[in-house]
Amino acid sequence: MNCELAQESIVLSVYGELPDERAHQLEQHLAQCERCRQEMEAVAALQKAMSVMPVADPSPSLLARTRLRLDEALDAMPQGGFFRRVSQRLRRSLGILQGAPVMAMFLLSAGVAAGAYGGYRTGARSAQATPATATRPIPVVADMDAAQVAGVTSITLDPGSENVEVRFERMVPETAFGTLDDPQIRQLLLVGTRERANAVVHDDSVNLLARECQAGHECNGGPIRNALMVALRYDRDARVRRKALEGLQSYISLDTRVRDAVLEALLHDPDADVRTEAVGLLEPVEADSAVRDVLQTVASRDDNPHIRTVSRQYLEQVSQIQ
Amino acid sequence: MPVDALRFLSPSRTSPARPRIQSTRMGGPARENLHETDLIREAQAGSRTAFDALVRQYDQAVLRLAMHLTGSEQDAQDIQQEAFLKAYRYLGNFRFECSFYTWIYRIVTNLCLDHLRRRKARREDQAVVIDSSGEEMDLLTNISDERAGANPGRELDRKYLGQRILMALDELTPRERMVFELKHYQGLRLRTIGEMLNTTEETAKNTLFRATKKLRAKLAELR
Repeated sequence: MNCELAQESIVLSVYGELPDERAHQLEQHLAQCERCRQEMEAVAALQKAMSVMPVADPSPSLLARTRLRLDEALDAMPQGGFFRRVSQRLRRSLGILQGAPVMAMFLLSAGVAAGAYGGYRTGARSAQATPATATRPIPVVADMDAAQVAGVTSITLDPGSENVEVRFERMVPETAFGTLDDPQIRQLLLVGTRERANAVVHDDSVNLLARECQAGHECNGGPIRNALMVALRYDRDARVRRKALEGLQSYISLDTRVRDAVLEALLHDPDADVRTEAVGLLEPVEADSAVRDVLQTVASRDDNPHIRTVSRQYLEQVSQIQ
Repeated sequence: MPVDALRFLSPSRTSPARPRIQSTRMGGPARENLHETDLIREAQAGSRTAFDALVRQYDQAVLRLAMHLTGSEQDAQDIQQEAFLKAYRYLGNFRFECSFYTWIYRIVTNLCLDHLRRRKARREDQAVVIDSSGEEMDLLTNISDERAGANPGRELDRKYLGQRILMALDELTPRERMVFELKHYQGLRLRTIGEMLNTTEETAKNTLFRATKKLRAKLAELR
C-alpha cells in the first residue's frame, strides 16, 4: 500500500467506511510510515475540530411552526389526486417540466395549475383513474433555449444503448398582477429586495414595501421589517436608504431593534440627508440612555452643522422634560 | 481499485457528532417498510392523510439537516417546505426504484445545493462588512438576532473556532460541502450519499477526500 492510498484509507477509516482487508493493509503501512501516522492524527484532529459545530435538533416550536406552514401550503394546493392526473396529462402532451427554483415561483406555478383545474373541471369528474402506464414522458420539448435551463438535475444512461434521460429544470418566466397588499405580491417584492444583479428591481422593491409600511397598511413585522433594515444598513444608494427609513418609521417606537438600526444610521451613514432623516424620526421616541448617548456623540461630531444643531436641540428638550 | 472491494462495509463506525441508530432503511421486507409502501401507494392515489403521515416520518430529520447546513432557521424552513411540496407534486413519479427515504433526501439535497450555490454567487459581489462590535458580519444571516447580545468571555474561544470552521466550510464547493455535511454531520454511508446526489459511491468518496483536504489546509492557515 502506497502513501496516497494510505491517506485515502485513513479518511475512510475515520468515517467507518474502510473495508476490513484494507484496514489490515493500512495497519501494516502505518507501522512503517511516520508521515502517514502523523496524517492519521491530523485527520482525527480535524474530526474533533469539526464537531465544535454539533447538529442541533430543531426546537419543538420551530418544528410545530414548520409543520403548520406546510399544512397550510398543502391545503392551498388543489386536490391531490386530481392535481396529479392533470399534471400527468400536461406532462404527456407538452413534455414541459416546471422548475420551481424559488418559493415565490412555486406559488405562481400552483396558481397556474389552479387555472388548469378550472379548464379541466368537467373532464376530470368523469375521468377514470388512469393507471400510471406511461413510464417515460414523450420526448417532446418545446423550444429549447439554453438560457432558460436553470440546471440539469440528473442524467441516466440506458445501459447498453445510447439512450439518455436528462432531467432538467427550466426557468419559467411568469407574471403576477395584484395590489400591494396582496400577500403573493408582497412575497415577490421581498424576493426582489434580495435581487443583486438588477438594481432597478431591487430599488423598486424596497421603495414599494417602504411605501406600504408608511401608508399604514398592515405590514406584519418580520420579513418586511428585516428587509427594510437590511436596505437601510447596506444599500449603496442613499435614496433607497432614505426610503427604507421612511418605511421603518412606524416601527421605531415599537421595536428596539428598529430603533437601534436608526441610531446606527444616524451615527454611521455617509449621507447627510439620511442622517437628517434619522434624527428627525427619533423625536417621538422615548429618549433612554442609548438614544441620549448617540445624540451627544452626533451633537459634537457630525460633519453636518444642521444635524449637530438638531441633535443639540433635541437633547435640551429631553433634559428639560427630565 | 475494484469497486466490489468497497462493498464489504466495515461494521465498526466511529460515531459522528450525534449517535445514530443502525437501521436498514433501504429495501428488505421489514414490517416498517411494508407499512411505508402502503402509505406511499395511498398517498399516490390521492390520500392527504397518508401523505401527512409520510411527512411526519421525515420532516424533523430534514429540518435538522437543513438547519445545520444553512445555519438559518428561516432558510431551513423554506427548504423543508419546498422539499415536501415538491414531493407532493411529484409523488406520482416515485416508482419504488429506490427507498422513499433516498427519494426525499434527493429532493432535499438538491434544494440545499441550490441554496449553497446562490449563497456563493451572492458572496462574490459583496464586500465583507464589519459591524460596530468589530466582528465580521455575514450579510445573509438574520441581522435581528445576534447584534444586541454580549459575549461571555469563555464562549469567545469556542466561538472563534466555530467561526473558523464556518469560514473553512465556506471555501468548499457546494457539492463538497454537501457530501461533507451528509457524511460527517449526518453520518450517512457513502453509498447512500452517492444515491442521493445521483452519482456513484466512488465519486462521493473522492469528493469527501477533496473536502477533508481543503478543510485541513484552511484550518491550518487560519490558526
